[in-house]
Amino acid sequence: MSDPIIHLENVSRVYDTGKVLVPALVDVDLSIGPGEFVAIIGPSGSGKSTMMNILGCLDRPTAGRYVLDGTPVSELDDNGLAALRSRSIGFVFQSYNLLPRTSALENVATPLAYQGVGRRERMERARAALERLGLGDRLHHQPTELSGGQQQRVGIARALVTEPALLLADEPTGNLDSHAGAEVIELFHELHASGRTIVLITHDPDVAAAADRQIHIRDGRIAA
Amino acid sequence: MKLGDLFRLAISRLGTGKLRTALTMLGVIIGVASVVALVSVGQGATSGINSRLEGLGTNLLSVTPGSTTTGATRGAFGSATTLTIEDATAMSTLPDVAGVAPELASQRLVVAGTLNETTNVIGTTPAYPLVFAYSMWQGSFLTQASVDHSLRVAVLGNTTATTLGLGPSAIGSTVYISGLPFEVVGIMQPKGGVGFQNPDDEVLIPVTTARDLFVGTDSVRTIGVSVASAKQMDTATAEITTLLDQRHGIGAGGTPDFTITSQTQLLSTVGSISTLLTVLLAGIASISLIVGGIGIMNIMLVSVRERTREIGIRKAIGARGRDVMLQFLFEALMLSVSGGLIGIVIGVAASAVIAVLAGWAFTFNPVTVVVSVVFSLIVGVIFGVWPASQAARLDPVVALRYE
Repeated sequence: MSDPIIHLENVSRVYDTGKVLVPALVDVDLSIGPGEFVAIIGPSGSGKSTMMNILGCLDRPTAGRYVLDGTPVSELDDNGLAALRSRSIGFVFQSYNLLPRTSALENVATPLAYQGVGRRERMERARAALERLGLGDRLHHQPTELSGGQQQRVGIARALVTEPALLLADEPTGNLDSHAGAEVIELFHELHASGRTIVLITHDPDVAAAADRQIHIRDGRIAA
Repeated sequence: MKLGDLFRLAISRLGTGKLRTALTMLGVIIGVASVVALVSVGQGATSGINSRLEGLGTNLLSVTPGSTTTGATRGAFGSATTLTIEDATAMSTLPDVAGVAPELASQRLVVAGTLNETTNVIGTTPAYPLVFAYSMWQGSFLTQASVDHSLRVAVLGNTTATTLGLGPSAIGSTVYISGLPFEVVGIMQPKGGVGFQNPDDEVLIPVTTARDLFVGTDSVRTIGVSVASAKQMDTATAEITTLLDQRHGIGAGGTPDFTITSQTQLLSTVGSISTLLTVLLAGIASISLIVGGIGIMNIMLVSVRERTREIGIRKAIGARGRDVMLQFLFEALMLSVSGGLIGIVIGVAASAVIAVLAGWAFTFNPVTVVVSVVFSLIVGVIFGVWPASQAARLDPVVALRYE
């Protein structure tokens, strides 16, 4: 197997509430290779949100070592983390998290703006990403003018437009009806087939079943 | 994120809440408009006062009898009687002096036909129009010959002529001053008032005639001296002092019995008062600019709170703290600078209206505009930095969870 995209060694995340220390992740070891489609599954309170924050470089582990796409995360400052997120991660959120009062096209183009890509190229790439997801006729619609399934596809287009090493999806079907949810899962299958590395975080075993590999997390530890 | 993108973001943001944007800018608009208007009004008033003072006469020195200090007290203005017509004649030979006009004045009843008026009848010399900046409307001014021969001729101020019903055809007619007949040889152009006394309400007669018929002494109220150029004011003052000291027998260290006041003294006093007023007004107005800035800061803080989730999203998709900081700072700057520009337009318009109503020349000062723009930029930065840094410091994990 080639170098993993994600490599965690003895990673722990302990929250300091001021009175007590709350361990959310304990000694997690995990390796995910390029092209893998992995589901991280666990009930609420299991530590999967913390896992998502750590994997997505929104948060740093309090102990242990995390290497993402060849970059040791623990050594980075806030700007370094932001640059790594910009370069290597595409987020898909449960509640879509599109920028309000902003067209689909501008939403998808925004990550490129933070990479310093010129406006013309940004717009072209964003348009191409939206067209690939079947939203070519929704470019100038605002989020409130789109259905849930359409909004989530805009979210996925935004995650993919930077060609990230890792697509990190947090309950991507959580707010969708079963039909739209199935469409999103189907989309993930297609992306996986075209070679993307996907990490899907969910509490729903049916959704997790779509992935090649399931990692169960319970009480901050990997169960199986 | 590039500068152009930040601009585009800030502009589109301001367009989304137009009422809020307008109300937030209002503070800065009022502040800048009042600074611009008040400074312009102050300058207009100053230049108005200056041009009227210049109307008094160019490079004018006034020599008046009496000392500034005699022991501990000073006599009432004009109460001393130490200056004479001969002093004036002697002064006119000084090298830096262009003209000398003594004033030997008394209040007299002037009658023309059935109309009459009690006014200032001043005995003077042909240099009077030069010294006090008058010009002739009809006829001609007093001649040296009329002074030499104490002729009964009179030149009327414009207001006096109007009051007495005398127009162009009055040249050569007769007016009676305290019952004595005088031939009207000229009527002067109106000059416009300075202070309480109307400079166009007077009758001018040869100084010798005034001495012989009305005053009876040589003592003059004041001697107006026109200096050849503004640069020679100081040397002319020194020459007059030396001459009068010598003529009046005042030795070195003695107390002079005359006072020389220059117009420039008066000008600089008036100038400094009006500058002080302008600064004071602008200072008060800039307080409202600061209040406007606080309004912007308030709205920006609310905005950061409202858009916590947006900030979280932006950070998740690659925005650095600096990007978020600049985004909010640009919004604050956009508010303050566009408010400033609108304020300038309103302020300039208001000062133009005031200038027209007050009847002085409208002065448009580009420096004020530049200063206002810079000031509103500074207000934007000062009151935008804190909210922007609050936004930049948000933890993405917390911000994304924020509802």
